[in-house]
Amino acid sequence: MINRSTRPQRRETSEARLAFWLMLPAAALLCGVLLFPMLTTLRDSLFLNKLTEPWLRGFVGFQQYAQMAGDPRFLQALRNTLFFGVLTVGGSFLVGIPMALAAHTPSRIRGLARVALLLPWAMPPVISGLIFAWLFNGQYGVFNDLLVRAGLIQEPLRWLSTPGLAVVAMVITIVWKTSSFVALIVLGGLQGIPRELTEAAEVDGATRVQGFFRVLLPLLAPSLAVAFIFRAISAVQVFDIPYTFIQQAPAQGLLETLGVYIYRTSIEFLDFGYGAALSVALFALSLAVTAVYVRFVRDEGTT
Amino acid sequence: MSEADQPKPRLNPAERVGRALALTALVVGGFFPFVWMVLTSLKNEGELQKFPVQYLPSGLNLGNYARVFSEQPFAQFFTNSLVVSLLATALCIVVAVPAAYALARLHVRGRGVLLTTVVAFSMFPVVSLLVPLFRLFRGANLLNTYPALILPYAALSLPVAILTLVAFFSAIPRDLEAAAMVDGTDRVGAMLRVVLPLSAPGMVTAALLVFVNSWNEFLLALSFNTKLTMRTVSVGVTLYQGEFAFPWPLIAAAVVIATVPIVLLIAIFQKRFVAGLTAGGVKA
Repeated sequence: MINRSTRPQRRETSEARLAFWLMLPAAALLCGVLLFPMLTTLRDSLFLNKLTEPWLRGFVGFQQYAQMAGDPRFLQALRNTLFFGVLTVGGSFLVGIPMALAAHTPSRIRGLARVALLLPWAMPPVISGLIFAWLFNGQYGVFNDLLVRAGLIQEPLRWLSTPGLAVVAMVITIVWKTSSFVALIVLGGLQGIPRELTEAAEVDGATRVQGFFRVLLPLLAPSLAVAFIFRAISAVQVFDIPYTFIQQAPAQGLLETLGVYIYRTSIEFLDFGYGAALSVALFALSLAVTAVYVRFVRDEGTT
Repeated sequence: MSEADQPKPRLNPAERVGRALALTALVVGGFFPFVWMVLTSLKNEGELQKFPVQYLPSGLNLGNYARVFSEQPFAQFFTNSLVVSLLATALCIVVAVPAAYALARLHVRGRGVLLTTVVAFSMFPVVSLLVPLFRLFRGANLLNTYPALILPYAALSLPVAILTLVAFFSAIPRDLEAAAMVDGTDRVGAMLRVVLPLSAPGMVTAALLVFVNSWNEFLLALSFNTKLTMRTVSVGVTLYQGEFAFPWPLIAAAVVIATVPIVLLIAIFQKRFVAGLTAGGVKA
């Protein structure tokens, strides 16, 4: 608006040209390292390509997708993924929201609380898996020790080698690791809400609990939606923690997620074709979640 | 915005207790697993194999830390992680800053679509990229080199870096650039001399997010750099376990060393991390 001597159209074309050059390196990196390989996977999924049976090669169309429907291991992995997804996303909200509220209230140890909030989020997932495998150790684990001391169990539980318990252990591990993310996004939302709003509700006679559900929660809806979408996508793709757990747990079938099954199909069984088809299925699942996100962003309006 | 300005809420005694309990749970829950690894790393096998658990080690036994370095080339793993993560961060930020500037500041047609596309890129499952990237890098003779990890790490973190920077750039008043342009500099000059210096905190924030992502990545590091001297720490910590044996004090010591950079960054830059996650997640 300041530079009146230039005509608006010309300024817009020169700006558009500048913008193009500024965005080009990012576009090149994203397309070269992410988009192109993804398209390769899409193509690979239509071809047989198994290193252990190199004589069976060639275009098979959607045959490998049809194969999934009759593959009990895939169906199990899909069920596991969805099951863990529901439990860990739900769990991370149940734990994460109170964490955010605790970290939001002013206190002398706010800095410490914030570090405690960030640590699980920033910890490498593989390392979180290792730490919790140790906490859940069947002989000398802390969880067993606490449960025995509390008188809740007589003998140490073999968490990782008992299928049902291994599932519980993994859910707890993933919830520990991911609640922080939910808490941080919610904390961001809380910081954007003027305190007067919650105080006004209190003056009107609402208890703190009522104030939370009637005033705070609706205002937090955008943050919660963002946290939900990102959590849902990471849950669908979860790999590192199940991979670490499976190394230590004989109860493998119940712990194998889609991500782990794809890795094993491609890298351990060297079946690149079927692995690619499974990858596309996982991507489709992620896209389904993304579609919800896009719709949400469109409804809210980008600013 | 500033937390010091916020008035202290009036709390009744029950609420005080509740808040104290919640804060304690938060701090203990966040720190305990890490503290437990530190304690485990100081124990010997004998102290470890006790039930009920012996919580404190009997002395400052640093032997496990020495063994971490003597049984695997862990110093090399650490250097590899440092080089890869720092270079991936540098590459990512150098590429993200101009793109984010264009998206936040210039008249770009289809800006909403472009931002949505950026978000969509962060949805790619890494495991789906594994085989094609492996073939690409094998063809280019890049396996077991730093670029084999730097390129994908920079690309994988690019969406979050761009979204974070867009949020930071958008918060800088346009009048400042306009004023600089009246004073005779062009748009690129205004970008370099006004906007970039002011958004240094945003760049630090984005860089921290990229660094943490790169330091923590496991799957690609496991698959692309298989030569022992090219391993990164996230893979390195898993190399101490035998087929049936888990030397936990040793693993614990490796875990502690591997997380030192992360813990340090978190302790120093906690506010920046919170700002970054909030900006990238919610505002963009």
